[in-house]
Amino acid sequence: MDNKNCFDEINLMTVIVNIGMASKIMKHAKKHGVKGGTILLGTGTIRNQLLEFLGINEARKEIVLMAADSNTCEIALEELDKKFNFKKPNHGIAFSTSIKGIFGTKAMKCTEIEERGEKVAEYNLILSIVDKGKGEMVVDAANKAGSRGATIINGRGSGIHETSKVFGMEIEPEKEIVLIISQSEFTEGIVSSISKDMKIDEPGNGIIFVQDIDSTYGLY
Amino acid sequence: MTFFYYNYTGCEPMNLLFDKFKEVSLSVLPITIIVLMLNFTLTPLDGTMLLTFIIGAFLIVVGLTLFLIGIDIGIAPLGKLLGATISTTGKVSIVAVSGLVLGFLISIAEPGLMVLANQVDAVTDGGIRGTTLLVVVSLGLAVMVAVGMLRIVYNIPLYKVLTVLYGVTFILAIFTPSQLLTIAFDTSGATTGILAVPFILALSVGVSALKKDSKAGEKDSFGLVSIASVGAIMSVMVLSIFSDTGELSSTLQFELPVTESLIGPFSSHLSGIAGESIMSLAPLLIIFLLLQKVSFKLEKKAFSRLLKGFIYSFLGLVLFMVGVNGGFMNVGTIIGYSLASRDSYYFLILMGFILGVVTMLAEPAVYVLTHQVEDVTSGYVKRRAVLTALALGGGLAIGLSMIRIILPGIQLWHYLIPGYALSIGLSYVVPKLFVGIAFDAGGVATGPMTATFILAFTQGAAEAIPWADVLLDGFGMIAMVALMPILTLQILGLFFSINSRKEGVDSDG
Repeated sequence: MDNKNCFDEINLMTVIVNIGMASKIMKHAKKHGVKGGTILLGTGTIRNQLLEFLGINEARKEIVLMAADSNTCEIALEELDKKFNFKKPNHGIAFSTSIKGIFGTKAMKCTEIEERGEKVAEYNLILSIVDKGKGEMVVDAANKAGSRGATIINGRGSGIHETSKVFGMEIEPEKEIVLIISQSEFTEGIVSSISKDMKIDEPGNGIIFVQDIDSTYGLY
Repeated sequence: MTFFYYNYTGCEPMNLLFDKFKEVSLSVLPITIIVLMLNFTLTPLDGTMLLTFIIGAFLIVVGLTLFLIGIDIGIAPLGKLLGATISTTGKVSIVAVSGLVLGFLISIAEPGLMVLANQVDAVTDGGIRGTTLLVVVSLGLAVMVAVGMLRIVYNIPLYKVLTVLYGVTFILAIFTPSQLLTIAFDTSGATTGILAVPFILALSVGVSALKKDSKAGEKDSFGLVSIASVGAIMSVMVLSIFSDTGELSSTLQFELPVTESLIGPFSSHLSGIAGESIMSLAPLLIIFLLLQKVSFKLEKKAFSRLLKGFIYSFLGLVLFMVGVNGGFMNVGTIIGYSLASRDSYYFLILMGFILGVVTMLAEPAVYVLTHQVEDVTSGYVKRRAVLTALALGGGLAIGLSMIRIILPGIQLWHYLIPGYALSIGLSYVVPKLFVGIAFDAGGVATGPMTATFILAFTQGAAEAIPWADVLLDGFGMIAMVALMPILTLQILGLFFSINSRKEGVDSDG
């Protein structure tokens, strides 16, 4: 097990590709040190007048979320770019953003939410990824600690505990991603309430990231 | 440290259309290749017929592409919207009544059911009138759609509902005249047609999507088609028990087809098919326009998008059906006839299996179901896995049907009773998501390709075998195609449940 400490930066990679590509992306990323990831389905639109008139300007996309320390992140994105040619049109996009704290994985140990940078953000985005059907429990746990709302997204993903195959296809179990926006003074409470209720510290029970948010609208 | 690769602007313009076209071509290609291979080896076709077949295949590819786009942007969104609208009313009476109305309208306009009704009329010498059958089956289906929707609302597990329904069906089967038994099981295939299946599938996704418990919402997204199919089977049985059917005349006019002109087979079907397509789209269109005024109130852009979906569906449906009827049916008959005329029947069984596999790939509703499974499960159950299981099921069904035609001792119920008993048994142990998918797949697999190409193939084979009955053997085949995918998909579900347990959670972190 890698011995990472809190001062290593952790990044969240996001890759958006055409449908069917996400599993390949994740497989390749795992070869280069990424431990696991989550895939969401989405729709992308194409800006083209003719297609818009014909009503076929939407395309199905897959969004891959993967967290890793910044070195692994850099290598993985370089390798992905090499293999999947994001530079060419219509091959997808990839970017990474920084994460403040991560819970539920021993691969990247960082159990204290660290404050870094000059400006302390007023709001945080708490992203919890749990097994399908447990999203409601996360929301309940968060509400106990003062959270005021949450959004649940369906996805699929696999960590290091879940790799098996049916007819040569890897199975990626279904997940739910819970998005919670919280004021930064509540963040720690919410996160610990979720970790306690979901037993996040035990392996295989899910993962939580915390990200800073620059500005928010629509909160009251 | 932030990486940012942004290359998202230059999408090739025809990308989506091309993608769909490519996907459809790949699903129609296998059946085309198999037939061409047969042409050069076992069953040479004459030149004109071969050409019409190739034209037919081309029409099918273009038609299917358009049709599926139409389903994507028109029919399926309408179903989901409707399902969501119905269930947000929160009134059980509204759910029940709209289930009844929708089920009846879809079924009564189904061209496949009309064909079947006329056949039954002929077979029973008017003992069961075609119009009576049409109305009774539509009523039966309507009741079952309502039951199926209420099941979702009340959280009653699908396997329990199906156990009861199939239990009743088999009790009814004891009293049903044996020739009509076959026809009864076939109605399930005939009622769940090319438009009804995608619509009902989307409807149940719409009703289930609002459930707070996401796991229940997911597994309840499937199963409505299967419940509706049982309704059709039961209503034919009830009808035949209460009608004086007398001695059945099982003579079917059958001639080996001869194709002389290239365009003839297509143009002769065109007007009839165009009429049928309008008929089957009309109820959905009326529902849409009516509810748009009353309840949906979609914005202009979304509204016109849905309407465009209807236009795509119509054009695609016509091209597809003209291609199948004009180009594929005759070829199916000839292949079946010449394979069955050979000394050894092994080829017939083997080719039956292979044709069953490749036909499943080209069924429109199969395409819709596999995509829907992927969408609802966010890609956890892959399209390819469902497709493989379905294709195997189709292959087994046709292979077994050929054995039944060859061996006169085997009756249809020798397959159906153990088959359905096993299906129900499996539904108690298989992950519940797969139970719904599997039983729905039964209705999905019996689409227009099976009802034309494979039916013609079976009838051709039965014609060549002296002791086989063209009419009854043809009917039983569809019942088999409705059964086998239920088994293969549930077995797939077993594999999933065995293989997706978390490994090594305790030992390492």
